Amino acid sequence: MVLPAKTARFFQETGDVAKFTGRFFSQWFRPRYEVTEFFRQCFVIGYKSLPLIGLTGFIMGLVLTMQLRPSLVEYGVESQLPAMVGIAIVREIGPVIMALIFAGKIGSSIGAELGSMKVTEQIDAMEVSGTNPFKYLVVTRVFAATMMLPVLVLLGDAISLYGSYLGVNIRGITSFRLYWAQIFDNLAFSDVIPAFIKTFFFGFAVGIIGSYKGFHSSKGTEGVGRSANSAVVVSSILIFIIDLIAVQITDLLGFN
Amino acid sequence: MTEELFIPESALIKKRSDEVISVRNLYKSFGKNKVLIDFSASLYAGENVVVLGKSGSGKSVLIKCNIGLIRPDQGSIEVLGKRILELEQDELDKIRAKVGFLFQSNALYDSMTVRENLEFQLRRHRIKISQQEVDELVKNTLEDVGLVHTIDMMPVELSGGMRKRIALARTLILKPEIILYDEPTTGLDPITGKGIIELMLAIQNKYKSSSIIISHDMNCVRMVSDRVIMLIDGACYAEGTYEEIIKMNDPKIKEFFE
Amino acid sequence: MNKKISTNIKLGIFVLSGMVFLILMLYMIGKNQNLFGSTFELKARFRNVQGLRPGNNIRYSGIQAGTVKKLNILNDTTIEVVMLVDLKMKDYIRKSAVASIGTDGLMGNKLVNINPSGEPGSLVEDGDVLSIRKPVNTDDLLETLANTNHDVAIIAAQLKITVQRINNSTAAWKILNDESLPQNIHSSVAQIRTATAKAVDMVNNLNTLVTGVKEGKGSLGAILRDTSFAHNLNEAILKIKNVSEDADSLTSELNKVVQQFRDESMNGSGTITALLKDSVMAKNVTKSLDNIQKGTEGFNEIMNAVKKNFLFRSYFRKREKQKRNESVQLPAIQ
Repeated sequence: MVLPAKTARFFQETGDVAKFTGRFFSQWFRPRYEVTEFFRQCFVIGYKSLPLIGLTGFIMGLVLTMQLRPSLVEYGVESQLPAMVGIAIVREIGPVIMALIFAGKIGSSIGAELGSMKVTEQIDAMEVSGTNPFKYLVVTRVFAATMMLPVLVLLGDAISLYGSYLGVNIRGITSFRLYWAQIFDNLAFSDVIPAFIKTFFFGFAVGIIGSYKGFHSSKGTEGVGRSANSAVVVSSILIFIIDLIAVQITDLLGFN
Repeated sequence: MTEELFIPESALIKKRSDEVISVRNLYKSFGKNKVLIDFSASLYAGENVVVLGKSGSGKSVLIKCNIGLIRPDQGSIEVLGKRILELEQDELDKIRAKVGFLFQSNALYDSMTVRENLEFQLRRHRIKISQQEVDELVKNTLEDVGLVHTIDMMPVELSGGMRKRIALARTLILKPEIILYDEPTTGLDPITGKGIIELMLAIQNKYKSSSIIISHDMNCVRMVSDRVIMLIDGACYAEGTYEEIIKMNDPKIKEFFE
Repeated sequence: MNKKISTNIKLGIFVLSGMVFLILMLYMIGKNQNLFGSTFELKARFRNVQGLRPGNNIRYSGIQAGTVKKLNILNDTTIEVVMLVDLKMKDYIRKSAVASIGTDGLMGNKLVNINPSGEPGSLVEDGDVLSIRKPVNTDDLLETLANTNHDVAIIAAQLKITVQRINNSTAAWKILNDESLPQNIHSSVAQIRTATAKAVDMVNNLNTLVTGVKEGKGSLGAILRDTSFAHNLNEAILKIKNVSEDADSLTSELNKVVQQFRDESMNGSGTITALLKDSVMAKNVTKSLDNIQKGTEGFNEIMNAVKKNFLFRSYFRKREKQKRNESVQLPAIQ
């Protein structure tokens, strides 16, 4: 069977990513564990992304609230504004938007960093110096991204809800306690838990795609740029695909 | 074509007791591109062998095979008496600690300072070593390459020649028995390149190491080589001292010296 | 080295604050769903729960008291709502409390309202089933309202017809306009009243007499103790009763006559008026009326006495008291 070249390349790459993921897990369980490097990556990937995630989260909450208000006022359910914004942010918009921002920042940086390390033989050098570069570079980054995105999304949600609180108060007066109570009155575990769990997968997708693209970067600066770019594109698409799968699973499990 | 120079390697190259690297019948291809075809060669203690060949002729592949970075399709490689293709990861790492590798692009870790670059090498290979020892080693090695003042600088702040020397220092810090140089003077101006070559010779003297040097810089070949191996068409085409090689009448060899 | 420690501290703060927010969020939701803290279960069985879901709120007299734990379908017409209620509420909710399904606002979530019924009852226990009030369904409400409207329309139509009839009928208006009619009715009623009062007196007197006889005082007592005589007396009493009833009807007849007299005297025409204008005749009539009245009085008295006889003892005692308090009415017998 002869596949068109593009299709064949697509399947080839999908297979490669799957193999890469398998390699990640087989390496992840085995010592030696690069704990120090993992924490360093957590700091770089998590802590240093907080300002960006926080800013976008804040603006998103504020804007969403202001955009929703007119139609709610039209239906006379303005008082439901916090409940609606709360559910929208916690369930869907927070995780997805922040994961996309995260993909833009971290996916590209991992792709570019590993890509340039590959091109300048740093990965080879690492291997020569008795370090398993896959463990040292890929496992730590992927794992850090997996663990840090949920934390980022949680904090981003909090900031976003605060932004929404300010948005509510632009045209009306709602005490913070009432706002807070309204949000949590309308949230259930089935809103928070699936949203929280799927952020791990988002983080993993960003990490693994970024690493894959970087690790398999072709020679030259152009190759590095391309791997950074395609890392963002592919991981963004993957985020949406995972989101689709997640909503179907939660639906199947009856959490909706 | 001189018949006696076209040597069937296995017949000619006999096992010597001071052989540190022995490569036998190596095959490697990337897709349809056959890079190494039945290549065999040896490195003996204390000598500098220069491998000469065109770009893309597989010189880099050859030395990367020696340290386990690239796996040949076929053949055997013995480094310091160990068949590295059959080694476990741990033992391979032990061999690697004794073999320094100077990358063409230096491969300094961009995210680390010079000190960290050197420490990384030490820490990775010898896990039990005190910080004081590490500091001392780093300083001594940087003195060897004459760049102690750059200890807390980032690689991007350094010039090409300095980076090459730092990379060399990083290779030297483990006091390797064998050093593999991948085009050490490429990309450097002749004066800086000459400096590097002199440094290489000085190190050779100090550490009594043996080296394989890949180059097509004739200055380098002339100054450094004890022996030259011509890598043409994926095999060891010719072998001999620099003087012997340049006297050869083979057109493929002559190409290099014109 | 210092730099490393400070980055680790930053990372620690970052991760911890994320975790704290997660735990806070889960705790707040859990608190709302009463997953933490002590609760107890109450149940209520409805025919239709109108979209109530687990997690919906329970309100006791409007105060947040818990959440719906689950819904069990018991059979085709019964759905059991299991409620998790705050343990604090156990001291207030009584077994007589009534559960109903309501809505939070006009369009909000469904909830279960528990309201005290006002009737006494002991406090609820874990697992109690509360009685329910049929939930106010908007559809039912509208349907009932439509029926009511329909009925009201019919009533209004009929009322309209009635009023029209009254308006059109002259006879009815005459009756309503006649002033003398009520006066007459009033006076005749007054007379009947006096007649009755007199009859009561009569009966009292007879009673005293009979009492004396029962006590066996005097010769009459001896006679009365004879059972055959008593039987005869009973018969006699029955006859007297009949007579008194006749007298009653006579009285009413008379009343009518009197009324007729009056009517006709007002008009000033007819035979009766002529008769009445003769004063002698009028006197005779009055006398005969008087006699009849006296006779009636006597009969009544006897009758009452006999009636009281059956309640012999109590009446006797009453009489004794009266004797002490009042002046003696029948000295002859005593």
